[in-house]
Amino acid sequence: MVAGKKTKKTHESINNRLALVMKSGKYTLGYKTVLESLRSSKGKLIIISNNCPPLRKSEIEYYAMLAKVGVHHYNGSKFTRIYPCYFYMKCWLNCYHLMILPCVFVLLTVRN
Amino acid sequence: MVKFLKPNKAVIVLNGRFAGRKAVIIRAFDEGTRDRPYGHCLVAGISKYPKKVIRKDSAKKTAKKSRVKAFIKLVNYNHIMPTRYTLDVDLKDVVTPDCLASRDKKVTAAKATKAKLEERFKTGKNRWFFTKLRF
Repeated sequence: MVAGKKTKKTHESINNRLALVMKSGKYTLGYKTVLESLRSSKGKLIIISNNCPPLRKSEIEYYAMLAKVGVHHYNGSKFTRIYPCYFYMKCWLNCYHLMILPCVFVLLTVRN
Repeated sequence: MVKFLKPNKAVIVLNGRFAGRKAVIIRAFDEGTRDRPYGHCLVAGISKYPKKVIRKDSAKKTAKKSRVKAFIKLVNYNHIMPTRYTLDVDLKDVVTPDCLASRDKKVTAAKATKAKLEERFKTGKNRWFFTKLRF
């Protein structure tokens, strides 16, 4: 998996695009909503953190393959501060602690 | 971005009495209905898989081993796992949402489904669908 060897540069650019989407687009977080948006063919990109359990990761990848949606393996665990989302992390933080799920973002619209 | 929960899609039922059984989507209700306000689909599946037939078997035994028992069910999307396979069987007129209303209708619909599935099994196509999922 090339994800481990991501250079700093591409890392930043993903973050930049994330920042854009968080501000101006739609997204959902969490396993259940990801599946819902995949089934209703609303999702355009899925970001999976690297501490996602492998079975769940494979499942999401399979759904994404059926839906022809891109999957991005984020080089960081759900606990890494994703800078553009920091503001949102504050309100989603509770959800993570309660759900104990790895964070799986679905970006519903990506402007660029 | 492609809708994949469409009629003729082969799925695996994950929950309930038929967990682990393969089924095919007959009709998908993405928006849900008044009774079921969630995404669900009408599936027809195999409740008892046909057994393995060997060369030694007589014609009578082959016939007995190739029997299929079918089920018809409305399943929540959360309780099925879609696969990349499809099954092109024309069950649209046989299996309808109102055939689940009464027990007799359900039984006749299941029998008709069984006949169609058996016929498909005997042609040797869609072999994946008629093999039991081992878990």
